Formats: sequence, C-alpha cells, structure tokens
Amino acid sequence: MIGRRWRGGLRPRLLAAFVAVTALGATAAAWSSAGSASTALVESSQRRLVETVTSQITAVAPGLTYPPGQDALELLRAAVSPNGVVTYGGLRSADGPDLITDSLRNAVRTGGRLVSQRIEAEGRPWLLIGTPVMITAVDGARAPSGIEVYVARDLTAVDDEINGMARNAGLTAGLALPLAVLLALLAASSVLRPVRRLRDTARRLAAGDLRARSRPRGSDELADLTVTINEMAASVQSSMTAMRRMQADAKRFAADVSHELRTPLSTLTAVVEVLSMSADRMEPDARESAQLAITETQRLVTLVEDLMEVSRFDAGTAELRVEDVNVTTAVRQCLRARSWLGRVELVAPDEVAARLDRRRLDVVVANLVGNALRHGAPPVRVIVSASGVEVRIEVVDSGPGIVEHVLPHVFDRFYKADAARARTPGSGLGLAIAMENARLHGGDLTVSNRESGGARFVLRLPGEAGRR
Amino acid sequence: MKRILLTIVLLAAGCGVQPSGIVDGGEAPTGVAAGTTLYFVDAAGELRPTTRRTERLGTVSEALSLLMTGPGRDPSHHTEIAETPTPRVVVSTKANLIQVMLPLTAEDVTPRGIDQIVCTALGVHVQSGGARTMKVQVRFTQPAPASEAERTCPLIR
Repeated sequence: MIGRRWRGGLRPRLLAAFVAVTALGATAAAWSSAGSASTALVESSQRRLVETVTSQITAVAPGLTYPPGQDALELLRAAVSPNGVVTYGGLRSADGPDLITDSLRNAVRTGGRLVSQRIEAEGRPWLLIGTPVMITAVDGARAPSGIEVYVARDLTAVDDEINGMARNAGLTAGLALPLAVLLALLAASSVLRPVRRLRDTARRLAAGDLRARSRPRGSDELADLTVTINEMAASVQSSMTAMRRMQADAKRFAADVSHELRTPLSTLTAVVEVLSMSADRMEPDARESAQLAITETQRLVTLVEDLMEVSRFDAGTAELRVEDVNVTTAVRQCLRARSWLGRVELVAPDEVAARLDRRRLDVVVANLVGNALRHGAPPVRVIVSASGVEVRIEVVDSGPGIVEHVLPHVFDRFYKADAARARTPGSGLGLAIAMENARLHGGDLTVSNRESGGARFVLRLPGEAGRR
Repeated sequence: MKRILLTIVLLAAGCGVQPSGIVDGGEAPTGVAAGTTLYFVDAAGELRPTTRRTERLGTVSEALSLLMTGPGRDPSHHTEIAETPTPRVVVSTKANLIQVMLPLTAEDVTPRGIDQIVCTALGVHVQSGGARTMKVQVRFTQPAPASEAERTCPLIR
C-alpha cells in the first residue's frame, strides 16, 4: 500500500524520471568521453613508443657490422632495452620475458614494415613492437636485412591513467545526481503548488463556499485550468444566486398574497356567519347556495391560514413555545375537541412527559388523524410510546394504504395523489405543515404502508431525556 | 540505482587498454649495410659508385674521410679531390641541409670533385633512412662563392 502510494504520487514520479534521465545522460557522456579519451591516450602513447623504438634502432644501425655477429645483436638489443629481442638467422639476443606472438613474428617476416600489437600477459597490458631492419640502397630501394627486432613495452601506466579517468567520469556523474534530485524537487513543487491550490479551491466549492477562487499564476496549462475552474465557479455561483432570488421572490409573493387576502377574508367570514344564521329562513335553492358559500369560505380561510403558516416556516419566523406536556393527555384532548374519541382507538400509557409546543402537537395529530379518517378506513388507531430519548406517536389506519409511487411525495406542498379527486376539503398543505412542525421540534415524520394494509404515519419527537 | 552504478563501473572498466590485432606501425627502420658507397670518377669523366667493404654503413663523416683517401689501386677510377694529410671532415645536419666542412680550399676541388663529395654524403644519408630530397652545402677552409650553394647529386634524384 505504501509502495503503491510512493509510486503513484506526482512528486516521486517526477523525481524518478529526473534521476533516471540524469543517470542515463551522465553515463552516456562519461562512457563516450572516457572511451574516446582512452582511445586517444592509447594511440598517442603507442605512437610515441613506436617512434622511440624506431629512432633508437635508426641511431645505432649505421654503426652495426653487417652481416652482424652476436656482438652487433647485443649492441642493437641494448639500444632498445628493456624487454628486447633481436634475431638474425640463427643468432639471437634477448632480455626480459619473450612475449612475442607468432602472428606478430609472421607479420614482421612477410610485411617488411613495422607492426605492433597490444596483448594481455602476466596480468598486465603490453604493447609488442616488431620490425625488420631494412637495407636501403642509394637509389632508395629497400630490402630486408634479416635482422628482426622485437620489443615489449608495459602499458600499465596508461591503463592506470585510463582507469583514473573513468573513475573521475563516474564520480562526476554521481555528483550530478543530487543536483538532479534538487531540480526534480523544485520542478515538482512548482507543479504541485498550483495543483494543491486548485484542490483546496475545489474542496471549498464542494463544501458550498461558492466565492472560493484561486489566483492563476503564469501562463501555463495549470494557469489555464485555474482560469477555467474560476469561470465554472463563477457561473455556478451566479445561477445559484439567481435561483435563490427566484425562490425567495416566490415565497415572499405567497406570504404577501396570503397576508393581503386575510383582511377581505375576515370581512367575508363575518358576512357568511350572518348569512348562515338566516339560512333557515331561506328558500331551499337559496339555502343550498348559501351553504356552498359558507363551506367554500371556510375552506378559503383554512387555505390562507395554512399558507401563512407555511410562509412563516419558509421565512424562519415560526416560533416554538415549549412547555411541559403530558403527551397522552394532549393527544386525548385533541381527539376530544374534534369529537373523534368514538372513532379512534387511543393506545397510550397514562403519563408521557415531554417538553413540546402544545399547539403544534395538536395541529400535527389532528392532521394525521383527520387524514386517516378521511382517506383510510376504520379502525384508526393512535399509539403513543416513549423510550426516554424520543416520544413516538403512531397513526395507523386499515384502508388500502398509499399508492407506491405517491409515497415519496406525500409531504410535498399541494401534491394531489389523484388528479380526478382534486376537490377535497384539505388545503393540500396539511402534511407539509406537519412535517415542518416535526422538524421545528428537532423531530421527524415518516410514512409507510403496513403489510396488513393501511398507511402508517410515525411522528418522532425528542423526549424528556433527549432534550438538549 | 545500484544497477545503473554497476553499469557505469562495467563501462568504465571496459575503457581500459584492450588487446588488439596486428597494427601497421609505419616504415621499418633502416641503416644497416655491408659497406659504404663512395663516388669516384671513371676514365670518361663520369661519376661511378664504388662500395667499400667496411662491414658497416658508418656516418657521413666517415664516408667522406674514406673518399678523401682516394680510390686506392683501382686503375679505372680516379678522384678529383686534392690529397690532404688530415682527411677529417666535420659534418653538421640541419632540417633540410647537410653542411660539410672540408680541410681544403676551393681550388683543391674541381666541380666534379664537389659532385663526388655531395653524392657520397647524400648516399650515406639515404642509406641510413634519410630523405632523398636533402641538399648538401660544401664549405672550404676559406670563404668562397661555391660554399653557399645548396647542391644535389646528379645520380641521386
């Protein structure tokens, strides 16, 4: 895992690439320079040795008796010593080890020219020089005299020099490596710093800070990327702002409308009440119209009140007035106030203490039970239980339940499960308000279908122990 | 990394002196000879090379000393260099010039005699491996116009 991370990072990869390139380059340079230098060194020392031997022979040759006796051979050998061998026919004068190879001897006999050969003997490099001594006529014609000179020269000094050179080249290449590492680190940080800045900016954007930007530096690809990301963030920010403004406008509009409707509506309500009092004395046709007006007015009042309630939630001005409440008593009072005690079965312990807003609890329970009675089928049951950290109020009915694709939307505002059944007495906001009330308490409201049929709404509120 | 260093070391080690095949090293040295070639004049007045069996080539100075001792009892040759009791010749060699200082005056030697000296000196020079384009300057005990000429041998071109 660590190994993979080590290989995976941009910094180690850059580092490795730099070091590899440097090592390769330094090796190639060292190898080629050492190679050419050693070739030049070997050749120059070889040429020098050959010239020395030639001049040594040339210096003594005119003084040699010819045909030569042993004395003359000794004289010539002494001139080219050490490690010289001089032969003439069967005569031979030698000192030092005889390293002469057969191929060299053949080349000297047949070629009539000076030849040389490098060999390895006794663990050391040697240069062998072999040459016939020529007789030159006054007209310049050359013929072999039969005298042959062989010389061996030790090349250890040259070898040492070359090895020293190669060692130096290697050392220089080695010294370049730390420099390469340093450069690689610099290059890596110059690439990584903007990348890190971009990452931080992207994180802030992801966390919701749409004002996050990073300043582009230079004019490379990373700067382009930074500019692009900034543009993206700017466009996201502007569309988010526009969306929020539209949302706020819509909410304010709803709040204003409902508020403006209240005053004429209260006048209307007063009129309708007067109308309802005199309805008994009307003609049957007129009475029916009056009844319709009364019902619709009441519906309109409910709708406007619900709208105002929702607006308060949206504006964040909904107030929570908590007090010590016995939940069982509160639920029972709610049912009794609406004359539902006979139609609803209440399953609850005697005492369930919690700190809640009594009015809001009443609204939620009334909405849930009212829905169950209206859309579900009896028996409708309200089950109150407490576990210390939370109070749980369950409302179940035995109706057909809620259609599967509607389930996720039951808490949406004005969501109608059945478009054909549009005219229901509710405002279409009841469950949305119930959900907002549950959340205002720090609780939750969920819905599901029972396996045995019917819908189950579960209201969870923080209990005595769960209150912070 | 270790592998790279190893490669460097191996390459460096391969850079040392390597054995080779037979390599040509240029002209073989020369200079041995069975005798010295001297130039005398025959009956027709032409230069003739003669070999003295000295068993060695010797130096230019030695050859000129031998030349000044004359052709000996050979009746077909004569010399056109006057005899001298001290046949010692000083020879100094420069880059393209052999200077010969004779123990004679310009009157002691005929033009043919000067050719004898030039040819003998050049012959030894060529035989000991020297260039055939070498010039010879013959000087006498007294300054003479002939001393300054840089000569070549008519037989050695």
